[in-house]
Amino acid sequence: MTDYVIETKGLSVYYGRHRGILDVDLNIEKGEVFGFLGPNGAGKTTTQRVLMDVIRPTAGEARMFGKDCQKEGVAARDRVGYLPGELSLYDNMKARQFFKMYFSLQKSNTDPTYWQTLADRLDLDTTRKIRELSRGNKQKVGVVAAFMNKPELLILDEPTSGLDPLLQQTVMELVRETNQAGATIFFSSHMLSEVEVVCDRVGIIRDGQLVTTERVQDLTTQRFKRVRFKFATPPPADAFTQDGVTETTRDEQDVTLEIYEGLDKVMETAVRFGILDIETIPVSLEEIFLAYYGKGNGGSHA
Amino acid sequence: MLRLLLQELRFRRNAIIGWAIGLTFLPAIYVGIYPQFEAELAGMQAIMDLEIYQAMGISLGSFEEWVASTVINIVPILVAIYAVMDGTGTLAGEEEAGKLELIVALPIPRWQIVTVKAVAHGIALFLILLLVAISTTIVFLAIESQIETTLVATDLLWGLLYTWPIVMAFGMISLFFGAFAPRRRIAALIATVVVVVSYFGSNLSSQVSSLESIQPLFMFHYLDATAGLFETGPQASDVLILLGIALVAFIWAVVFFQLRDITVGAWPWQRGKIPADTTQSG
Repeated sequence: MTDYVIETKGLSVYYGRHRGILDVDLNIEKGEVFGFLGPNGAGKTTTQRVLMDVIRPTAGEARMFGKDCQKEGVAARDRVGYLPGELSLYDNMKARQFFKMYFSLQKSNTDPTYWQTLADRLDLDTTRKIRELSRGNKQKVGVVAAFMNKPELLILDEPTSGLDPLLQQTVMELVRETNQAGATIFFSSHMLSEVEVVCDRVGIIRDGQLVTTERVQDLTTQRFKRVRFKFATPPPADAFTQDGVTETTRDEQDVTLEIYEGLDKVMETAVRFGILDIETIPVSLEEIFLAYYGKGNGGSHA
Repeated sequence: MLRLLLQELRFRRNAIIGWAIGLTFLPAIYVGIYPQFEAELAGMQAIMDLEIYQAMGISLGSFEEWVASTVINIVPILVAIYAVMDGTGTLAGEEEAGKLELIVALPIPRWQIVTVKAVAHGIALFLILLLVAISTTIVFLAIESQIETTLVATDLLWGLLYTWPIVMAFGMISLFFGAFAPRRRIAALIATVVVVVSYFGSNLSSQVSSLESIQPLFMFHYLDATAGLFETGPQASDVLILLGIALVAFIWAVVFFQLRDITVGAWPWQRGKIPADTTQSG
């Protein structure tokens, strides 16, 4: 039996008459790094807030470590580190005061000095008041607070938001190391490149509904293939007009196609114009993401 | 929990000091000026017998009546302003500022969060009254020899501390509205209306015989702002009613905070249904 750290079934949240998320079924296994992708307003933050029992579901259920996030939320959250997307801290406190208070409010306390190790690593001055910190440094405070208790599950909403590229890399290293130490990571991000590097699986959410959950590798290879042909005879403009195929570029004899379905038919057509060369071009997660959102090439197939 | 309570008190430290210093001036001035105006004030009693002043609870016949109708009558109203500000700021204000999300996400039951904040709020109200009472008592000791009164210093101290139940009741009502209303400003508006209506309603209904029956509906009815307070202390039933109101408001605050979707800002009845006709929000 699979050991799910996060499980949601038919999870729906409505804000008055407006839908937040609808029928989200999500299973995240122990030890996974799971990336949650979607534009602003897609429902990423809502899903994470339901898990943390910040907001309550309108329908469906959410579990962490097999415990109902609402009824047994305290026991479940005891094993979780959380970084909200809209981070707001107590401005009058010094960062170190905040960490000490935050640490003392956790039940399963581990290493009382680990926050200092993390702060040093992120180059955060903990002697300053939070209101004096820049946005990036406040984000560091949030990152440290999420990781400081060495939790079994980390729920991170845009963890690298507001950080410079070097620190983004440090945070991602932290994510990797924590994962290697056995923690499960569930994080949302707009930085598709970091998701691609760090995540085992991703979920794409659109208009509040989970469109797909796939292994990153499977997603980038299975969603569509991008193939560049070099032909002996340039094919006519409508040669590859068929369902599931989009011609993205054409330069005399070179034609690039994004093929969602009907590869055999494409090949049949292609051989008629004499294939001199054929190359499969790797598809990035970003392109897959945009395809799901109908903004990139091949969007009509999303 | 103790750490959270200490932190909550630390958040209120500046407010406690500021309000105590600010409020100190009012009773200190009222008590301090009495020797200079004692004769004139006695002569003004005829004016104070007018219904408008009666409605405001003002009587100037003696030092005891003067202190009761000024200090004991007015300080709780002013402290109630802080109670409304802090009571609504505690849950609704922190939620609007986004600070509550991290706390709610901790492995702490929500009722404990509300309880700690309510206790901190109650302590803050008590400390403000205590500091005001101490400074008023010091001023009284300075003028005691110049006036004719049966009061001793501790009477004034206790007299002001006796007002804690009513300000606590207003504080808990504000806390409740903070957990109930979608926005802090709405909660503060409703709580302020409760304070104002309670004050003027109590005084007016005590003057108009046809309104006497509704007098018990106003919380200031249960505050004894007469010279009798210094002799017998507050009536136990009045204190119990005010503390009962505070307790009920606190329980409602816990219940509605338990049900509340933090960060959403909605009335309780706007949640929990999947409408037939829907649109995407985020």
